Amino acid sequence: MAEIAFRNVSKRFGSTQAVNNASFTIADNEFFCLFGPPLSGKSTVLRLILGLDTPDEGEVLIDGQVVNHIGPAARNIAMVFQNLALFPHMTAEHNIRFPLVERREPEARIRARVADAAAKLHIAHILHKHPGQLSGGERQRVAIARALVRDPAAYLMDDPISALDARLREEARVELKRMQREAGRTLVYVTHDQEEAMSVADRMAILELGAIRQIGTPDALYDHPGSAYVARLLGAPVMNILPVGANVITAPKRPGAAHLGLRPEDLTVTPDPAATATVTGVEPLGGYTVLTIAAGGEVLRAMLRGQPAFATGTPVSLSAAPARLHFFGPDGTRLAG
Amino acid sequence: MSAIKLEHLVKRFGAFTALKTMDLSITDGEFMALLGPSGCGKSTTMNIIAGMETPTEGRILFGDRDMTGVPMGRRGVGFVFQNFAIFTHMTVRRNLDYGLRMTGRPTAEIARRTNAMAELLGLTALLDRPAQGLSVNILQRLAIGRSAVMEPAIFLLDEPLSNVDAAFRAVMRTELKSLQRQFRQTMVYVTHDQLEAMTMADRIAVMDHGVLQQVGTPLEVYNTPANTFVARFIGSPGMNLFTGKLTQTDAGLAVDLGPLGISPPLAPATASAAKRANGDVVYGFRPEEVTLAQPGEPALALPLNLTERIGARTILHLGTPQAEVRAVFQSGTAIPAGILRLAPAPAAVRLFDAGSGAALQVA
Repeated sequence: MAEIAFRNVSKRFGSTQAVNNASFTIADNEFFCLFGPPLSGKSTVLRLILGLDTPDEGEVLIDGQVVNHIGPAARNIAMVFQNLALFPHMTAEHNIRFPLVERREPEARIRARVADAAAKLHIAHILHKHPGQLSGGERQRVAIARALVRDPAAYLMDDPISALDARLREEARVELKRMQREAGRTLVYVTHDQEEAMSVADRMAILELGAIRQIGTPDALYDHPGSAYVARLLGAPVMNILPVGANVITAPKRPGAAHLGLRPEDLTVTPDPAATATVTGVEPLGGYTVLTIAAGGEVLRAMLRGQPAFATGTPVSLSAAPARLHFFGPDGTRLAG
Repeated sequence: MSAIKLEHLVKRFGAFTALKTMDLSITDGEFMALLGPSGCGKSTTMNIIAGMETPTEGRILFGDRDMTGVPMGRRGVGFVFQNFAIFTHMTVRRNLDYGLRMTGRPTAEIARRTNAMAELLGLTALLDRPAQGLSVNILQRLAIGRSAVMEPAIFLLDEPLSNVDAAFRAVMRTELKSLQRQFRQTMVYVTHDQLEAMTMADRIAVMDHGVLQQVGTPLEVYNTPANTFVARFIGSPGMNLFTGKLTQTDAGLAVDLGPLGISPPLAPATASAAKRANGDVVYGFRPEEVTLAQPGEPALALPLNLTERIGARTILHLGTPQAEVRAVFQSGTAIPAGILRLAPAPAAVRLFDAGSGAALQVA
C-alpha cells in the first residue's frame, strides 16, 4: 500500500522551473493521472516520485514518511516506460522473472509470483513467446507483469500505450483500468491524450508550466473546469470560448464575466432562415456530426448526435441550456455559481 | 491529369504477398484515405504510387499516362512521411523554400509562395528561427509545408500525425483538410486511425491483409460496411458483432445469440436480407444505436462491467468476456446498475454471413 504526497515541491533545471510549488496527495490504490501539454512538468513529477530527481524545495512523502533522500531502489516503486523496455532475446516468462532473479529470490517464490502475475494479467498462455511474437497489447501486459512481480507499493507509467494503433489504444486503456482494480495498487499515470486520461483516471491533476492547476475526478474537471485553460484541455472538439457580448447566443448576464464557455455537445442547432449564424463545415462521423459555425464574428464547433442533414451555408440559430454555460473572468478563472 | 488509377496491383516480397490484386481509382482533386491496421498493405500501396516500390504485377496510371516504370523523382508527387526529415541546421524559411530554390524559381516567386505557406500554417513568426530546437508538432507542420509549397498535383502523406500529440492532431486534421480544399491536389493519406480518415477524406479505402475491403464515403463505410472487418474497424468503438442462428419467434424472425439470448425481432427489410444467408449469421449493431429498453420491449439483457465517461460520451462495457458488448450514451443519461436491457434500433441492425463475413445487404 502507498499514499504518495507532495508538499510545496519545486524543482528547477537551470533557468527552467519544471515543477512549481506543487502540493497534492494520491490516495492508496488510486488511479491518478497527470495530464498537461508537453513540458508542463508531468515527467518531472514522476521522476521525483521515483527518486530519480530530488526536489529543490518541499517534501515528497510516501505513506507519511519524507523520502527526499531515499534512493529509487529503497522506495519500492515500479516504473513502466513508454517503450516498455522488454528484453527481445528473452521469453515473456524470463522477462517477468528478471527482477526477482536479480534480487536472488528463491526459485519456488519466483515461480509462484510469476504464475500469480501471469494469471492476473491473463498471459499464462503466452509466457513461452518472445516479445517479437507478441501483439502490442500483449507486450504491454508482459511489461506490467514484470513490474507487478516485484510487489511494488505503487506503479508509475509514462505514456505506456501511446505507441499502439488507435484501435488497440482504446482496448488497452480499458484493460489497464481493469488490471489496476484487480491488482489493487496505487498507479500514477502520465498521458497526453485527454480521452485516455478521462477514461482511466479515478482523479487527475492538470498541470501547466510545472504548476498544478486543478485536481479532481474527470467528471468534475469536465463539468466544472476551474479555468478556461482546464476547460480547453478536456473534451473533443474543444470547448467554444467566446468573449461575453459576442452576438452568438442568448445568455444570462453574469457580473465580472469576460468569457463564455460552451461545450460543442451542449449547443442546440436549428435551421432558421432569419438567423445570422451560418454552417461553414460539416463533418459526419457516423455516430455523431461536428458542425463548424460562423456566428457574430466567432467560429464555433457543435457536436450533434447521429447524422442530421445540414449543408454548408445553412443559416442556423443557436441555443444552450443556461445550466450548461460556463463563465470565466478576465484572467480565465471560473466564476462560481 | 492528376487522377490516379491502380490496375490489378500485386506486390510480393519473396513468399509474402503484401498486396493482392488491388484495383482503385482516385479522381482528380480527391482526398482518399488508405485505412487499415499494421501490415494491411496501405503503405505498400502508397510506396507504389510514389515510385519507391515497383509492383510485381499490374499498372499504375496518372491520368492516361502509365507511370509503372517511371522513377520516383520524375513522378512529380509530394510526399510527407511519419518521420519528417527536416534539415535542423537550416532556418524554418530555408527548409520551407528548399524545393523551390532547387527548381530555380525566381527569387520573388520563392518569397511570395514561402510567405503564403508560412502564413497558412502559422509559421510566419518562426521563419528566421533555426529548425533545431523546435517542437515535434512544429517540425511536422514544417514538413507538410515544405512539400505543399511545391504545389504538387499529387500529394501523398504516410501517417503524418502519428507522432504528434493528441491535441495537436485535432488541429492538424482541420488544417490539412483546408490545405487540400485550397489547392485541390489529389491527396492520398495513409492512416490506421479511423477518426482521421472519417474527418478528412472524401472517400476511404479500407484494407486488411493486402486486400481492399471497401471503398466509399465516410458515411457509406460507417452505415453500410461491406463485411465484418470494415464494420469493426470503422467507428469508435467499432460495431458489436455476434454470431447466431436465425430463429422464428412469435414477433417475427430474430437471431439466437446463444449466451446473449434471442435478439429483438429483425426489421422487415433486414429479415428479408437474412434469407440470403447460407447458415449462421453475424448480428451487428453500432454502440451508438442502442436505447435502454422500456419494460416489455424486446431487448438484450446484459450485465454492466465497466463505465468509461469521456466528456460528452459515456461508453458502457457489457456482456461476458466471450461476448463483450459496447454501448455509447450521451453523458448525463441515467444508467441503472447491474443488468441493463439494451434495445438495438431495428433499422440500424446489420447482418453478415457467418462464413464469409460479407454483408447481407438490405435492398
